[in-house]
Amino acid sequence: MNGTIHVENIEKTFKGDVKAVRGVSFNVADGEFFAFLGPNGAGKSTTVQLLTTLLKPTSGKLEVAGYDVNKDPEKVRLSIGVALQETGIDPDLKGRELLEFQARLFGFSKKEAKKRAEELLELVGLTEDADRLSGKYSGGMRRRLDLAMTLVHQPKILFLDEPTTGLDPANRKAIWREIKRLNKEEGTTIFLTTQYLEEADQLADRISIINKGQIVATGTPAELKRTLGFDAIVLQFDEEDEAISAYEAVASDEYQTERVKNDVTILAENGTSILADVIRKLDERNLHPAQLNVKPPSLDDVFIQVTNEQKEGGLNE
Amino acid sequence: MNKQQGNFFSDTLVMTKRSIVTILRNPLIFIPNLAISMFFLFVYEAGLSGIANLPAFEGANYLAFILPVSIVSAAIGGAGGAGQALVKDLDNGFFSRLLLTPSSRLAIVLGPIIAGMLQLVIQAGLIICVGFFLGLEVAGGALGVVVVLLLTLGWGLAFAGYSVGVALRAKNAQSAQAGTFIFFPLIFLSTTFVPYELIDAAWLKVAASINPVTYLFEAMRTVLIDGFTDTWPIVLGFLVIAGLCGITITFSAVSAKKAVSTD
Repeated sequence: MNGTIHVENIEKTFKGDVKAVRGVSFNVADGEFFAFLGPNGAGKSTTVQLLTTLLKPTSGKLEVAGYDVNKDPEKVRLSIGVALQETGIDPDLKGRELLEFQARLFGFSKKEAKKRAEELLELVGLTEDADRLSGKYSGGMRRRLDLAMTLVHQPKILFLDEPTTGLDPANRKAIWREIKRLNKEEGTTIFLTTQYLEEADQLADRISIINKGQIVATGTPAELKRTLGFDAIVLQFDEEDEAISAYEAVASDEYQTERVKNDVTILAENGTSILADVIRKLDERNLHPAQLNVKPPSLDDVFIQVTNEQKEGGLNE
Repeated sequence: MNKQQGNFFSDTLVMTKRSIVTILRNPLIFIPNLAISMFFLFVYEAGLSGIANLPAFEGANYLAFILPVSIVSAAIGGAGGAGQALVKDLDNGFFSRLLLTPSSRLAIVLGPIIAGMLQLVIQAGLIICVGFFLGLEVAGGALGVVVVLLLTLGWGLAFAGYSVGVALRAKNAQSAQAGTFIFFPLIFLSTTFVPYELIDAAWLKVAASINPVTYLFEAMRTVLIDGFTDTWPIVLGFLVIAGLCGITITFSAVSAKKAVSTD
């Protein structure tokens, strides 16, 4: 058993010809922290369900921890820990009971299960609330308990599907700290999905951006930022004619310029440094935008960028 | 590293224990179920006992005749609750977590099924106690009561298996509830209120003869009214219920595999 993930050209088509995953391939090395970054409906959760034996792919090859997911689902389940987007907690059981229950199902004796539950409660800071019904926990506490349940059998690979969505900053940081520690200190391979660029940036060794069921870019955070890290200067005009003139005025080989109706968008590596230049050019032609905004690269811009390039057919895998 | 594939029996035990704890923590769900089946026994006995004077009853005690109906109908609340528990697990995501453990899919569905079955057996025990209070006489004696409880156990497994399977297919409380409506034809297209010879309509005779519940009624009534002089209806009852258990539990275990996948 090892902590690797090997995915070759998987596809998942649901009833009604809904193609959730369309030919995704990637490899994750033992001990690597890998993130899937994408918007809602990109196919992130479906990929996690395919990798964790909950769904069967329409086609393609899946290997997790060295086992074929289709042929050896039991062995895969023993090697992985999975925290799905929706926490899996029975509200009628207490925190401690849930952890002991989970441990028993992973083959721990009663005594071992008790001990393991105690350790995990401490780890996620729920010792004081261990004997309260989990249904009475706050959202953040439920997330922490869910993570603890995922860790019961010390899995070699951890799948985390949007583990911090809907959490307040304090709880988010607590979850980040713990998964970072698992990766760095225990060498656990981590497969994380997120909608937040910041989260992937902070945590992952390598990121794949997924959109509409396909991987559109892969690289380290630094690499992705180099290719995608543009500031966007957005100029909004009252009249389309003005926008057309402005587009002609500011267009340059040094950066990318786009016009959609009354809006002109400039994507530049360092937006603030060319801002003065842009304003001077507009002034020369007596063009006055109704609004001017400079935004750091957002996930949206990354997607606009990547999907544009995808259309033009000029993108590496 | 501690991890290893769980043992089927210990997994089933752990799952069952958890289901029982969950039931006990929601008394407002199981107490009305207990009350309603005893209520039916009172009503049937009070309203229908005059039928026992008909010659086809051969002097049998109507209470002994109607008691099985009360026990079998208790399943809709007791054993049927297993399906509702499953819907709750599906709704709060706990079921996905169970599927991600190495336990066998059969152990996962057997937890709520056995818990539902136990609930029905306890209900049946209480119904029999109330029956004695109303003047029930059991021809089969103490052993007869045990046989009735064993038949109840089989029926509980079968019905809970069915309700869990339906819940896993339906995935929501409304549809799961709708699925339990099969119960009504099962209990009423049978020798529910009168013996087979007294059923008037030919179609109802046919329906009763292919309805597995008829064989359950017959087995229980034989033990309660005649004792162990003729054992064939009892054996037949056990065989039919065993077959039914096999079908419904297989149905629920197969449904468990498909529960999360949407294809």
